Amino acid sequence: MSGQYHRPHRWAWFLERPGYMRFMVRELTSFFVGGYLVVFLITLARLGGGEAAFAEWVAALASPGWMAAHIVALVAAVWHAVTWFAAVPQAMPIYLGEERLPAPIAAIVMGYGPWLTVTAVIVWWVLR
Amino acid sequence: MPAQDTMTLEIFRYHPETDSEPRFQSFEVPYNEDWVVLDAMNWIKDHVDGSLTHRWSCRMGVCGSCGMMVNGEPKLTCAAFLKDYYPFSIKVEPLVNFAVERDLVVSLDGFMEKLQAVKPYIVRDDVNDTSGGEYMQTPAQLAQYKQYSMCINCMLCYAACPVAGHEDEFLGPAALALGHRYNKDSRDQGQSERLDVMLMGEAIWGCTFVGECTEVCPKHVDPAGAIQQAKAGAAQEYFKRFVAPKGAGA
Amino acid sequence: MGHGTTQQHDVIIIGGGGAGLRAAIAIAQENPSFSVACVSKVYPMRSHTVTAEGGAAASIKPNDSLEDHIYDTISGADWLADQDAVEYFVNEAPAEMIQLEHWGCPWSREPDGSVAVRPFGGMKIERTWFAADKTGFHMLHSLFQTTLKYGNIVRYDEHFATKLLLDDNGNCRGCAAIELRTGSTRAILGKSVIICTGGAGKAFPFTTNGSIKTGDGMAMAYRAGVALKDMEFIQYHPTGLPGTGILITEASRGEGGILVNKDGHRFLQDYDLGEALDVSDPRHPQKRAMELGPRDKLSQCFIKERDAGRTIETKDGHVMHLDLRHLGEAKIDKKIPFVRELARNYAGIDPVHQPIPVRPVVHYVMGGIDTDTDAATNIPGLYAAGECACVSINGANRLGSNSLTELLVFGAQAGRHAARFAMDHPDYDVSALEAQAADEGARVRRTYFDASRKGERIVTLRTELHDAMEDGAGIYRDADSLQAACATVTDLRERYRNVTLDDHTNSFNTELTAALELGSLLEVAEAMANSGLKRTESRGSHQRTDHPERNDDDFLAHSMAFRQEGGAPPRIDYKPVTITKWPPGARTYGAGSGLKKPAGETT
Ligand SMILES: Cc1cc2nc3c(=O)[nH]c(=O)nc-3n(C[C@H](O)[C@H](O)[C@H](O)COP(=O)(O)OP(=O)(O)OC[C@H]3O[C@@H](n4cnc5c(N)ncnc54)[C@H](O)[C@@H]3O)c2cc1C
Ligand code: SF4
Ligand code: FES
Repeated sequence: MSGQYHRPHRWAWFLERPGYMRFMVRELTSFFVGGYLVVFLITLARLGGGEAAFAEWVAALASPGWMAAHIVALVAAVWHAVTWFAAVPQAMPIYLGEERLPAPIAAIVMGYGPWLTVTAVIVWWVLR
Repeated sequence: MPAQDTMTLEIFRYHPETDSEPRFQSFEVPYNEDWVVLDAMNWIKDHVDGSLTHRWSCRMGVCGSCGMMVNGEPKLTCAAFLKDYYPFSIKVEPLVNFAVERDLVVSLDGFMEKLQAVKPYIVRDDVNDTSGGEYMQTPAQLAQYKQYSMCINCMLCYAACPVAGHEDEFLGPAALALGHRYNKDSRDQGQSERLDVMLMGEAIWGCTFVGECTEVCPKHVDPAGAIQQAKAGAAQEYFKRFVAPKGAGA
Repeated sequence: MGHGTTQQHDVIIIGGGGAGLRAAIAIAQENPSFSVACVSKVYPMRSHTVTAEGGAAASIKPNDSLEDHIYDTISGADWLADQDAVEYFVNEAPAEMIQLEHWGCPWSREPDGSVAVRPFGGMKIERTWFAADKTGFHMLHSLFQTTLKYGNIVRYDEHFATKLLLDDNGNCRGCAAIELRTGSTRAILGKSVIICTGGAGKAFPFTTNGSIKTGDGMAMAYRAGVALKDMEFIQYHPTGLPGTGILITEASRGEGGILVNKDGHRFLQDYDLGEALDVSDPRHPQKRAMELGPRDKLSQCFIKERDAGRTIETKDGHVMHLDLRHLGEAKIDKKIPFVRELARNYAGIDPVHQPIPVRPVVHYVMGGIDTDTDAATNIPGLYAAGECACVSINGANRLGSNSLTELLVFGAQAGRHAARFAMDHPDYDVSALEAQAADEGARVRRTYFDASRKGERIVTLRTELHDAMEDGAGIYRDADSLQAACATVTDLRERYRNVTLDDHTNSFNTELTAALELGSLLEVAEAMANSGLKRTESRGSHQRTDHPERNDDDFLAHSMAFRQEGGAPPRIDYKPVTITKWPPGARTYGAGSGLKKPAGETT
């Protein structure tokens, strides 16, 4: 008797739970992060191609379409970063003796703290 | 609450000897504030339809037998109170991502193999020699793995995991959490053997960190966290083996 | 339900709880070439050992001694325990517990890394090892996961054993078991057999026991001709949640919890259980006194208090209050977190802020399959260990936390002896046993799948059994109540012959297993009620209002219930208790009570 019942595969599984949708959003935001990296690389290439090429590229980026794309990419990147920092305490628990550092503190110590520090250093270096 | 109050349970039915497709059957049960979904199912079995088939034993959330989908959520039915659904009807289905044996009973064959695969026991040469007294383990060392030892094998996490649903090679949340539990135990020396298993194919890398296993776990095991930590350990091990093949440097 | 395939191994274990798994590992180690079968009606990790909360006793600390553990156990048992068995048990306990530690059990620890111990009821010294308050859960999973290391342990998960198979020479050689997935009855054969099927609390309506504790192994042995020993001794645990019967562990009192009546008064002091020290007194909780008295006495005190009108009435009956508030949130969360989780989920009470309503609840069967200290029964090749067995170390009242240790000590013992028997008696006739199993499969089918039957439902009979046992064989009993229980059980056994099922199909027929379980409970209940009726004294958990005194002249003896054919009540014989160094004495609790008199010579 091999009468086991197997449920059909659910192609729209990601709609079934809010958690799945959050997961999909997180994964999709990575395209924006990746996309912006491409923009960044092009920028570097143009910088290497001389002042004129760079100026032309920067002017192009200032168009309304590109500005909108920048904002979307920024939101996506921030969201992506936030979800990763939220995961840090789970993936890298810190123990003080028997006690585990509470998640919000661990997220600051391991995530937001270093992030803000690095950002601050870069901002200082650029504006120096 | 008037005593004659009732509630409706819509229950998934499937019999391997007679059915090719499952169906849903409705049952009226007396509403009792103190009842859990499991009590209602037992009432049906006792009084209405003795053929209703489900597993249960402890009725106190620790034996792990009674996991089912309750209104689409993986739940221990002995910890899901009718009062939290009243007066609406409750839909009860077998855990998803498992083959159904009959009605609410699912097959655990796959999980049992995966559990065995992660070597969920202390690996150490003198493990059967008690003459030296207990192995010392400080409360801080205990805290490192205690959470991951709380798994009751209820399978709710597999029902919540989209990867477990379609990737057979993936060991899944509970088995990986238990493997990690032993890796983190200060008495154990079997990490490398266990990583051999975890490094294979999709065994651990199948996990995309959806994180819903942790959301549904009734015992706060946090399998998602355990898996990410285990991945970090596996990556280190992988690198070590790459640099010094055959684990010579481990 | 066709015939399943025959399976052959060296040793067959029926039961995958703590005792069964410990036995399996012992055999796998004793003889690595042996094939061990572990037959269990549920997956091993669902076995009821998983629910045990408080801890497991073994004397290892420098301030403790083996002698003290022995004396506490014997006096706790009201001198009905066999003293040679208790000595063996206590001596073996530390090594067994350390072994389980080596196998990964996450015992709670002292700051220096050594195993921590807590006080428990009836114990003079703190000697109860614990893994927070999920001790049984951790022990069972550690054992189960350790068995996965051994390739020679073969599991038959979700196989329901219905009958022991004996060869022509009267040796036990296996069991007939229904494979739930297919419904076929298989012959699972071996050279020796160990029963580890656990207790039978489900004979009562209000119990801490899960649905699987139905005395199947006791009934199988009883039908095969083994005596059920001391079945009248049923332990009521004083602190179960009203309504569900969910246990609130004794560890909550070991950590300092107190019991109060409706006036907030610690009433145990009125019943010779010692002085009520203030909860802030460093000597609280006092060992072998007050809230840490033995379970039988505490449950009896509750009934007296209730009869005096000083308990609290609720919709689920009378209760007392277990007050943990003075322990504080940190200690509760660290030492007894499961108590908090259970009280919140199932009683809507947060013990940090409110006292927990509790009442006595059927918890443990002291009696069981008659075995000796080798875990052997009177049938060659048949052994038993765990709650289903009666060695006896528990006598008339088990001390909390001795049972989990007993699973290890006697599980291992049964494993070793069964392995030796298998080595010495390897040959048997397979076909005769196969035929027996086939007959058993046919009998089950004929009995339960007869479509022409118009009998009663399982639930009708089970409810009547529950009422009869609760009314007739509860905390206090007398000749009339026990007589009534005996009569009802006899009547129910007759009506059970016609029990009628809705489900006559093969695959996963859990209505069939429920019917078989009811059959087991009826056998076991019959032994309980009849043994109780014949014992005209009060001892430990067996309190006869018509015979309130202990009577050592006539009853310092184990009751031995032998099953009779044709529905006749069991024959009850008596077997003397083995007394070695500790002559029967008065059982006292309260200040200084654990001070053992110097051991006398054999009496
Ligand atoms: C709520 C609770 C708390 C407790 N707390 C403590 C404590 O703190 N300390 C302590 O010392 N003791 C405690 N006890 C008692 C102790 O837990 C039990 O006595 C002990 O666990 C019994 O173990 P076992 O191996 O004998 O049986 P179980 O663990 O009950 O296992 C029985 C096995 O037999 C199998 N089986 C039964 N019938 C059949 C059949 N027909 N066919 C096939 N297989 C079958 C089952 O599947 C199961 O695997 C507690 C008990 C309860 C109920
Ligand atoms: S990890 Fe949690 S959800 Fe998964 S099986 Fe274990 S207890 Fe259940
Ligand atoms: S019945 Fe044991 S977990 Fe629900």
